Amino acid sequence: MIEVSGLTRTYGGFTAVDDVSFTCEPGRVTGFLGPNGAGKTTTMRIMVGLTPPSSGRVTIGGHLYRDIPNPGRHVGVLLDAGAQHAGRSGREILTIGARTMGLPDSRVDEMLAMVSLSDEEASRRLRNYSLGMKQRLGIAHALLGDPEVLILDEPANGLDPAGIRWMRDLLKGYAHRGGTVLLSSHLLNEVELVADELILIGRGKIVAQGDKKSLGALDAQVSSLVTALDPAALVRGLEAEGFQVVPEGEGFRVNASTADVGRAALEHLIVLTDLRDGAAGLEDLFLELTADTQREVAPGVPAAPAAPEGAHR
Amino acid sequence: MTTHAPERRTIDISRTEGIPFSRLVKVEWRKMLDTRGGFWLLAITGVLLVFAVAIVLLVIGLDEDVRVSALDWSTILTIPLSLLLPVFAIQSVTSEWSQRTGLVTFSLEPHRIRVLLAKVSAVILLVLATIVVAIALGAVANVVGAQMGGYDARWNLEVSTLAATVFVQLVYFLMAFGIGMVLLSTPAAIAIFYVVALLLPFMVYGTLYALFDWAQDFIPWIDLQFATAPLLDPNDSVSATNIAQMAVACTIWVVVPLVLGSRRVLSSEPK
Repeated sequence: MIEVSGLTRTYGGFTAVDDVSFTCEPGRVTGFLGPNGAGKTTTMRIMVGLTPPSSGRVTIGGHLYRDIPNPGRHVGVLLDAGAQHAGRSGREILTIGARTMGLPDSRVDEMLAMVSLSDEEASRRLRNYSLGMKQRLGIAHALLGDPEVLILDEPANGLDPAGIRWMRDLLKGYAHRGGTVLLSSHLLNEVELVADELILIGRGKIVAQGDKKSLGALDAQVSSLVTALDPAALVRGLEAEGFQVVPEGEGFRVNASTADVGRAALEHLIVLTDLRDGAAGLEDLFLELTADTQREVAPGVPAAPAAPEGAHR
Repeated sequence: MTTHAPERRTIDISRTEGIPFSRLVKVEWRKMLDTRGGFWLLAITGVLLVFAVAIVLLVIGLDEDVRVSALDWSTILTIPLSLLLPVFAIQSVTSEWSQRTGLVTFSLEPHRIRVLLAKVSAVILLVLATIVVAIALGAVANVVGAQMGGYDARWNLEVSTLAATVFVQLVYFLMAFGIGMVLLSTPAAIAIFYVVALLLPFMVYGTLYALFDWAQDFIPWIDLQFATAPLLDPNDSVSATNIAQMAVACTIWVVVPLVLGSRRVLSSEPK
């Protein structure tokens, strides 16, 4: 279990991590989600003692990281898959890790097989690795010591879809066996499918946390997207039922459930051509929650407005 | 994972042993030698050693008056050792930053002082191992040279001179290590090291020393080569002034970099 309490890290006048507290439970995958520069990496670096906190503390399984003897045997860490000597082969990199932790060299072969790096690939130098191969090697390195806790910074970065699926199955299986997993990402869809818990961070502050269901409930307003053969009749009918109708795309957004819209259409004898749930996904929530903390919003990205409008949904 | 309990909020560390220091030294030794750069540094040093032997033997073969003793051989063969090998001492530290391996190294052993001590130990082992190789090679060359020159081999390498050779070599390697820790950059550390260790003594101090009286009084206090020279010459007696000069030069180039550098490594954040 990872317990972060009141963690703050400042650099001069800049606060990289601002009073962050959260817990990663064993048996669950916790996704640490936020835009680039939100403080995810700094938080993870503090966890493993590479960066000292300005205040607050992190314990892993009840211990400060530096108090854990031979920490590689208890905590698997992947902070940056590229942070390895470019002139060493993948096998050599794992061998150094295994030797440091006091593991037999056979463990290196096991890990290479587990992340599907062939003998030929394992003997290649790291500078000739693709990003995806580096990530696989990094995950193999993190799992070398058969740890109870995994801390992975952007592990899916550079993996192809098959690789992301592989990692998802791996981490789910790992958590299922009782392990604690914390993985960070700046992309929601990488984390959404694998994480049981989500922690959203922006500008160093936690903006939301919980499981996907409870986070989804933050977006409480029901809404539907609907189109009809006779749009004017649709608007009249829905407004007669007391719903608010806002044009959106080719149809309308209505602040009612799909069932209510369908019932209204039935009553007013309107032929619908499309009706679906318009509730915002986690993606919108993520963008909304981090909108005012986002460093940059790409032009054309329909970021949800910072102040939620009732009628909108 | 050894157990399958679904809820383990604490980790039992009572049965885990820390990483023994000897294991850290072995790993650092391996890391020093397992790259292509390391291979070539060793290979070229080996070639230089053989080359030095060949040239001296050639001179013995050509000139009947030349007699080369064991002491001469050890003096000649330690020169190749001091040319390229200090780069190992520098890279041992700087590559953790330039190749960013420090992220892994210092998360597998968060007590960085242990990692640094393991690195220093590996560097010291390298100094000892290479001197053993050079002395062994020198012994063989001494026998071969005597045969070629038709004279009796002279075994005049005193233990005290050998110890001094090891000491001076260590001083330079520790200086390289210290500069590496202070700068945490391979090219910068290599440049500074060679300017201080080779360029200044030969190009600048040597000239000043030959030309000016004040330089003869001053330079042995600030230059390791001038300061340690009496130590390596068995015909010289080492005076109290020599010792003081050595102490001052070593403080400037070895102790201060080691202290400042280890503070930097212990406190900075490997990115």
